[in-house]
Amino acid sequence: MSLVSVQNVSFGYSRDRLVLDGVSLEIRSGASVGLVGESGSGKTTLLRLLLGLTRPSAGEIRFDGATLDTRSSRYMRDYRRQVQAVFQDPYSSLDPRQNVLGIVSEPLRSLGIPGDRPALVEAALVSVGLEPDILGRYPHEFSGGQRQRIAIARAIVAKPKLLLADEAVSALDLSTRIRIVELLKQLAADMTLVFVSHDLGVVAALCDEMVILEKGRIVEAGATRKMLADPQHPYTRKLLGSVPRMPA
Amino acid sequence: MSAVAATAPRARGSLTLWLGLLLVGLHIAVALLTLVWLPYDPAALTGGRLTPPSWEHWAGTDRLGRDFFTQIMIGSRIALIVGISAVAIGGLIGVTLGVLAAFATRLLDDALAATLDILIAFPTLLIAMLVVAASDTASLGTAVLALGIALSAIVARLTRILAKRVLLMDYITAARTSGTSWLGIVFQHVLPNIWPTLSVNFALQFGLAVIAEASLSYLGLGAPPPNASWGRLLQEAQGTVYTAPIGAIAPGIALVSLVIGVNLLADGLRDIGDPTRRGSR
Amino acid sequence: MQPLLQIQDLNLTVDGKPLVTDLSFSIAAGERLGLIGESGSGKSLTAMAATGLLPRAITATGAVTLGGQQVIGAPERVLNGLRGTVAAFVFQEPLTALDPLLRVAQQVAEPLRRRARRDGHELAGSALQREVLALLEQVALPQPERIARSYPNEISGGQRQRVAIAMALACQPQLLIADEPTTALDVTTQAEILKLLDGLVRERGMALLFISHDLPVVAEIVERVVVMQRGVAVETGPVREVFGAPQHDYTRALVVAAKAFDGALEGTA
Repeated sequence: MSLVSVQNVSFGYSRDRLVLDGVSLEIRSGASVGLVGESGSGKTTLLRLLLGLTRPSAGEIRFDGATLDTRSSRYMRDYRRQVQAVFQDPYSSLDPRQNVLGIVSEPLRSLGIPGDRPALVEAALVSVGLEPDILGRYPHEFSGGQRQRIAIARAIVAKPKLLLADEAVSALDLSTRIRIVELLKQLAADMTLVFVSHDLGVVAALCDEMVILEKGRIVEAGATRKMLADPQHPYTRKLLGSVPRMPA
Repeated sequence: MSAVAATAPRARGSLTLWLGLLLVGLHIAVALLTLVWLPYDPAALTGGRLTPPSWEHWAGTDRLGRDFFTQIMIGSRIALIVGISAVAIGGLIGVTLGVLAAFATRLLDDALAATLDILIAFPTLLIAMLVVAASDTASLGTAVLALGIALSAIVARLTRILAKRVLLMDYITAARTSGTSWLGIVFQHVLPNIWPTLSVNFALQFGLAVIAEASLSYLGLGAPPPNASWGRLLQEAQGTVYTAPIGAIAPGIALVSLVIGVNLLADGLRDIGDPTRRGSR
Repeated sequence: MQPLLQIQDLNLTVDGKPLVTDLSFSIAAGERLGLIGESGSGKSLTAMAATGLLPRAITATGAVTLGGQQVIGAPERVLNGLRGTVAAFVFQEPLTALDPLLRVAQQVAEPLRRRARRDGHELAGSALQREVLALLEQVALPQPERIARSYPNEISGGQRQRVAIAMALACQPQLLIADEPTTALDVTTQAEILKLLDGLVRERGMALLFISHDLPVVAEIVERVVVMQRGVAVETGPVREVFGAPQHDYTRALVVAAKAFDGALEGTA
């Protein structure tokens, strides 16, 4: 059954300049889906719509069978509990004035989730591969990769069903990137993952399905392996051909 | 490069902090002391008129023969009350307006920003004079309220700019997707992150308020007698500045030392209050 | 023959903290060298040291010779002569490298005029105009007349990077230093810019110092690489050898990571 169903969604600031143009998409529960596109493809807008930060101009998004209703604060509270996000820049996504406990426990506090907060935070830190004794430390004491792990801990601490990642490894060094991809892959075993990226290599390594966006439209979607082996759309072929490869 | 940035202000920070603490502490100590003890009754005619400084009268006497040092000490108390209350009023109104503008829709934000720009184009003192003139009686309370309102426009504009910059950060988006309400975002993320810059600005505003109150008093629009505001002392010393210069010098020194002290203190506090400036990376 | 750029025992420190340690390499005329490293490896600082653009707080020791001229300790006047004529820079973010208030034509005209003055004649009016358009054509910009009239914010990121490359070429440098020139670009644009750079460098016989964290990108454009880790060159050699049989642990880790993503694309991982 579909966890998320994007139904004919459009978004634009004016009628003749649409950022997203009639996008439809089904995300199965437990899937890991890569949304791939270049700048101007609308992938970030689609992610913001899925996060409920923006309302579509037309069409609707359904989650777990119900319409994503950004106007109802009660519905959104419940939605946020099930849908969490990781962002691109681990330097900008952590409040420099909060310590690790404050940062990671934010969803617990804001969504009023009961339980022993420090213990829940420590558990989340351990599951992203960090030491549990860093609760009192501040973001500037950590490297980029560690910061991204803290951001991922914040996203999973409330045990969401759906994790949305926006270029979550693009700002990281290569050696760090591969470790964060492995971490996300491991986490994706227990939840649904939507991974927005311009990097086909990362998506290929992480996602079993992918969706290619170009100028606000989906040009091709399907199983990653099949699309890599036999791309149908010319744009998919162009993207694949543009990725620089290591010499044989 | 971070090492250069981290070490230099820390060494400077500790010195400014201590100097600021010393100056402000002195004024606060004197202000508290005046509540329980004064060298002389401020209204009593205790000596000859316009006597120069002596062991009995550290700053001499005024033209009615009242002890001048006693009045300067009371002036400390008045200056602190004026500065703190004006900044509190200006800060409360200004930060609220600034944060509202930063969160508001484009149209409302533009309207607020334009209004603030127009208000700031008028000198603080002029706005304060208008507010005092609009009220019936001149009192310390009116003067403080007037200064607070005049300062709020400056605080609001700064808050708006700082808050807008913070709102662009990914941690705000992360807070929204974590379910944090907008009030929560204001108190947990926006205010803590703009506070260091804002607090230094408050110190500047404090200095402005103290000077503006002195100016109002000097013009006869401030605290009426017997409140010994430094501005009123300066005004009274005007006629005798050549025969008894201490009457102008003493309140002048008191005023300047307090304003400088507060600024140094704020600078020092900002440096130690910032987790990214504490310790080395 | 003396190499175009020779770096010998370069040490960069800030407050006694080492940023680059005992670095030596050289680039001969027409040679293409890649400087690979992750953030904090000192690769960009090395490029800045090569042209005397280091911030004041950084202390440099050792020898850097660019076009036969010692760079470290050289007066600004001498360095200014080297920049542009011997070596020119292309940066990562073309939007900040261009002046937002000047039309593209004006920005490109400036180095052209400087080169003409260096060669002993003045370039102005329609002659200058023609040179600007010719240069924009050489970097394969479509509709050069329209682009010349545009402001930087009116053209795409890839087009801006082409303009930046045109400006670097205007002075006909012997060495082009490109610091992560494609990192901010889309993958399809990146492929185009790499092709353009490759063609230009070959055509003009320029030397290239290509700085990047991206192994496959470096592999496409250079012959030899220097791998840097925390300010130290850990491995040097021809691209195929270094990437094919890495000797140092750090290089090996980088190559394994890069090949993992490649493998995923091939469907083998």
